[in-house]
Amino acid sequence: MLRLPIVRATGLAGGRHCSVSFHTTSNKSQQELIELFIDDKPVQVPPGTTVLQAAAKVGVEIPRFCYHERLAVAGNCRMCLVEIEKQVKPIAACAMPVMKGWRVKTNSDLTRKAREGVMEFLLVNHPLDCPICDQGGECDLQDQSMAFGTDRSRFVDINFSGKRAVEDKDMGPLIKTVMTRCIHCTRCIRFASEVAGIDDLGTTGRGNDMQVGTYVEKMFLSELSGNIIDLCPVGALTSKPYAFVARPWETRRTDSIDIHDAVGSNIVISHRTGEVLRILPRVNEEVNEEWLSDKARFSYDGLKRQRLITPMMKINGKLEAVDWEDALIAAARPLANISADKCAAIAGKLVDAEALIAMKDLVNKLGSEGLATEQCFPKDGSGIDLRSSYLLNNTIAAVEDADVVVLIGTNPRYEAPLINTRLRKGYLHGEQTIALIGPDVDLTYEHEHLGESFDIITKLRNGSHPFRATLKEAKKPLVILGADQLTRQDGAKILYETQALAKALGDDSKAPQDWKILNILHTNASQVAALDIGYGSTVEEIKEQQPKVLFLLGADDANIKKEDFPNTFIIYIGIHGDAGAAIADVVLAGAAYTEKVASYVNTEGRSQQTCAAITPPGLARPDWKIIRALSELTGVTLPYDNLNDVRSRLEEVAPHLVRYGNVEPANFFKQALEIAKHQSGGSFLSDPVDIKHKTLDQFFMTDVVSRASLTMAKCVQAVMKQRQSAV
Amino acid sequence: MASRTASVVRQVRPILSINREDARRKVLTLYKAWIRQVPISLLSYDIPKSEADCKRKIREEFKRHVHLTDLRIIDKLIIKGQMELQEVANVWKPTGALMHYWKETWEKKPTDFMSKFLSGQD
Repeated sequence: MLRLPIVRATGLAGGRHCSVSFHTTSNKSQQELIELFIDDKPVQVPPGTTVLQAAAKVGVEIPRFCYHERLAVAGNCRMCLVEIEKQVKPIAACAMPVMKGWRVKTNSDLTRKAREGVMEFLLVNHPLDCPICDQGGECDLQDQSMAFGTDRSRFVDINFSGKRAVEDKDMGPLIKTVMTRCIHCTRCIRFASEVAGIDDLGTTGRGNDMQVGTYVEKMFLSELSGNIIDLCPVGALTSKPYAFVARPWETRRTDSIDIHDAVGSNIVISHRTGEVLRILPRVNEEVNEEWLSDKARFSYDGLKRQRLITPMMKINGKLEAVDWEDALIAAARPLANISADKCAAIAGKLVDAEALIAMKDLVNKLGSEGLATEQCFPKDGSGIDLRSSYLLNNTIAAVEDADVVVLIGTNPRYEAPLINTRLRKGYLHGEQTIALIGPDVDLTYEHEHLGESFDIITKLRNGSHPFRATLKEAKKPLVILGADQLTRQDGAKILYETQALAKALGDDSKAPQDWKILNILHTNASQVAALDIGYGSTVEEIKEQQPKVLFLLGADDANIKKEDFPNTFIIYIGIHGDAGAAIADVVLAGAAYTEKVASYVNTEGRSQQTCAAITPPGLARPDWKIIRALSELTGVTLPYDNLNDVRSRLEEVAPHLVRYGNVEPANFFKQALEIAKHQSGGSFLSDPVDIKHKTLDQFFMTDVVSRASLTMAKCVQAVMKQRQSAV
Repeated sequence: MASRTASVVRQVRPILSINREDARRKVLTLYKAWIRQVPISLLSYDIPKSEADCKRKIREEFKRHVHLTDLRIIDKLIIKGQMELQEVANVWKPTGALMHYWKETWEKKPTDFMSKFLSGQD
């Protein structure tokens, strides 16, 4: 595997990640800036900057196809040719480091002629199929040929003999290829090998016969494969589910947040006529940069299948569609005059903070405290009282700055693909050493496998493990613990040992004050908000409690069975007809994340809000409103009528929940450890560390939306097929 | 710095009335004509309203524009009122259209949370 990309090897600063790699020298270089002139505008840049970056600094955009600021520099499209005074030939701005006193002309006759020439060569072998091309309207080649191309054609091949034609590739169920359109920018190849960590793509042949492909018949299967669709400047790689669906100018776009994992990637929802057409990533340097995982990008078709579109009620043992009045009255009847502690709620993966607070208020008003999340968090020690024990404290963006990372019982590649890209970036550009405790999985980068037992944490702490030597020298160590491990019986012990390890590492690493070593990586989008609000119970406790009425707030993944609650009236509030709705006595249809304005808190404690792109289907209503309506019929009316009221209530409980976009840092690591100390005795259970998602096929279908998605099912099938053919 | 807004007075060409007093007289004339029309029209229209109901409604409709000061708008409304009166007096307006003044079949927009929720409106 290529650990040092060309950028680093040749010493060119090619974008953000290189500023990291140049960190050691940055102080020196900041002093000696180079001055040059772009179109006679003076600009001062550090040495090693490329002409293209210097031009961007003064607001001059040089056209390009192959250059991408997050990928290594290739310099093969030649579109960025610019003239430099007193030089014979035009130079490629994306690859050429600046020299002192250069006068760059980005709009001279020579530059324009060079661009025109490049454009003409590209178009000679590019099909004229824009009217049936999915990239039409958002195609770099289209735009740039309008802006920089020549206004007349010298293409006279009326016998149709000359144009290059290339066979299409089968890249799996997500990516449609029309390889004749490819202009060989190699962005997809560089993305695959640098960011996705799969060296499957490459070029074969030379000159006119050059082809981008997978060498052998193979699908491009990765958890990040969808990003090459965005990267492709032409229509060679387009989205298969979105093929021939819409044109970019006829859709509306709504900014929102993804909820399939706890990263909280920023997305744009493209929609038209009340239908979600596709989901694209939105740039947020602190969260997802500009990438998006395949589950977030392609599982939107699950929002149209298996949906609950009307409230339902069990009549003669069968769920039947009823209207809201009937359903709410039926749900309110067992709640009236309920004795204290006879009511409970379990919150699922995709629930928003508004619904969580409304649910908590309702259950509390009915005199109970039984509020659990599907993925339980140990109550011992400080439990959920101190936020530092359940957050990814060091923030996602800072993961790439760490020099030694210990992953405990987590597979970030499938639990949070965009955190894994940070780790890979740190590995490639920052000499990061990564160690893993748990089943040895493919993380797309080399890592040290320490073993499969939790005892290793203790050994690392007291220094009896050989890896401790590496950790000792680390300046910025990082411990990332998978939240799934805390659901074990010995979860409290695991958390304590991890806290103690982080403390020990902090003591001898002398890391900066704001460097936080202890990090918990969550898998559920709703989890952090739920813990912030105070969902402290576990599902087991609620099973013991045997409540009269149980609310399932989108809880489909906790393996809750009707037999566990034989005498309980179950009210399900959610979006899909899945496991939870099947055992319910009353089903109340909620709204999905594309259909409501709602708050979510990601694993680092950053509160973000989704925006409603479309209206909920059928009679479905936003979740908090359902709870509010139910409370009125029960006689314990909740004191909020609109979204602003709910958010003021959220602010009362936890002010950071409504400070959208900000990370609210947590503290009190020492105190949390102090309180947890009584866990120091005892021992771990004998079962080894296990993780849920080990291979790619387990990644695609993890929640109600992706389980209902056809595209995701096809992805699973493709992975299975590929695996069978490989054996 | 708070800028003082100068009040601008613009001389406009009148539509009907020369001054405010003139407009007021015209409105009163129109009002009286409507009130006198009530008993006659109740004979030609078969509507479930009494004379008092109709007079109250006429008063209400006039009062609806009590806040207007712009002469041109008042004039426009006077002209509209005259046209409307002509339609009623000549029985050009059908019964249904006349009853539309009372908006009896209009469903009120929900105001409290519960009715908003049940009707699916925000």
